[in-house]
Amino acid sequence: MSGAQQPITPIVLRSISQRFGRKVVLRGVDLELRARSITGLVGANGAGKTTLFLILAGLLQPDGGERRYGERVVADIDLELRARLAYVAHAPQLYPGLGARANLELFAELRHAAGLSSRPADDVLRGLGLPAEALDRPVSTFSRGMAQRVALARAVAGDPELLLLDEPFTALDARGRAQLAGALLAERDRGAAILLSSHDQGTLLRVCDRLVLLEAGAIVREVERGDDDPAGFAARASEVLGAVGPDDHAAA
Amino acid sequence: MLHLAPVRLLRQSLLLLRSELRQELRDLELVLTSTFFTLVVLGMFYLSFAALEKKHTMPAVPGLLWLTVAFVGTITLTRAFDREREADTLRALLAAPVERLAIYVAKAGSTLLVLLVCCALLVPGLASMFPAGQVFWDMPLETVALVVLGCLGYVAIGTLFAAGLAGGGGKNMLLAVILYPVTTPVLMFALVTTRALLDKNPNLPSYLGQMAALDVILLGLGALLFEPVLVGAAPARTAQAARQHARDRLRTTGREEPR
Repeated sequence: MSGAQQPITPIVLRSISQRFGRKVVLRGVDLELRARSITGLVGANGAGKTTLFLILAGLLQPDGGERRYGERVVADIDLELRARLAYVAHAPQLYPGLGARANLELFAELRHAAGLSSRPADDVLRGLGLPAEALDRPVSTFSRGMAQRVALARAVAGDPELLLLDEPFTALDARGRAQLAGALLAERDRGAAILLSSHDQGTLLRVCDRLVLLEAGAIVREVERGDDDPAGFAARASEVLGAVGPDDHAAA
Repeated sequence: MLHLAPVRLLRQSLLLLRSELRQELRDLELVLTSTFFTLVVLGMFYLSFAALEKKHTMPAVPGLLWLTVAFVGTITLTRAFDREREADTLRALLAAPVERLAIYVAKAGSTLLVLLVCCALLVPGLASMFPAGQVFWDMPLETVALVVLGCLGYVAIGTLFAAGLAGGGGKNMLLAVILYPVTTPVLMFALVTTRALLDKNPNLPSYLGQMAALDVILLGLGALLFEPVLVGAAPARTAQAARQHARDRLRTTGREEPR
């Protein structure tokens, strides 16, 4: 984290709206993301989840509403903010001709060029279960699951305060999902605020402190894990997840 | 502690340019396609025009030069951003703590280098094939200045539009449709200056100066618009966001919106 700087958490979205042409994608979304907390964003395909991620990551300017990062109300996610957040899309967004290590090193060098620190590529990649012999192989030869680990490694290497993960469990096997879930819990314990979208309901129930249901561009329900009633959370969360549809990994 | 913006921009531009060039050196995709295309075009020009007298080829040489640059530029820009589009890596760069201007500088820089490699074949080729092109040998410094300035202007504006289409998921066909009209002023200017060079016009330095000024304007425009083209313009949206928020607050407190 960034020492003497003011934290960028909590991140508060107020009345965020977005339309593409005539299609209204987000309608007055209010959302708060707190430090040391994993928020699960669930919703059917087309509910507006990815648009919300893009707005939080500064890749899309909302049509309306307010974004607050810590004390700052921001119109534009500038470099200083981007240095403190990380976004993993459901496509791994890696240079296919480069190896896993080279992909991470390029982004680490770009961070260093800006005066920012980054964890050593090898440490982060091995921490996420990438075998040593795969470090220098072009990522074009990787399975989707391995590429997804590299993408996550790139995201966490800069110790972000806000971690945005849009369907990171896609294409991961059960072991990969368990490793990734462990990594997310470690990031949360380090102090990060995490927004996670996934159709893997089992993992969501295991790692999330809060679940938010997005329907047709609006948040219609939230459930929070209380300290006192874990069974109650599981029941309420199951109701929310049931509203989305069947689990992608139910059979796994 | 973040470095100052100019330091960040310089370092990150160099890093991204190095990455682009490494990627290109690995497969030589752009250089091979572009140089092969240039050689084919040169051969076709030779077969079509070599039998003409010098006075007839004189007006044709500038057109041949800049027509080839326009086509090679389109091929290069399309492919350069296709790489980013295929793996969606442009978005990874945009979300990272990278000066967005550095992405523009690196893309424009690598495209410029490919264009200059092609011109290193094209200009001597034209000079050897057509007597009118002999001036390119006679005035090498002016020729280099002309080619660099013309190509720079082309990539300054071309990179902006190619990035806009890549970021927005636009089709490559659209790039060609958009690129030719927007680069026409630069190409026309370069064409007129080439004609002045071939005529050994005494006002050539003035023509080159005007080309340099046009390049500065286009680079400034590219630098200014690159980020808004890729992620949307913040200032206009901010005002809109503020108005919307005020309306929402008034609505929640049950007061009417002031007109």
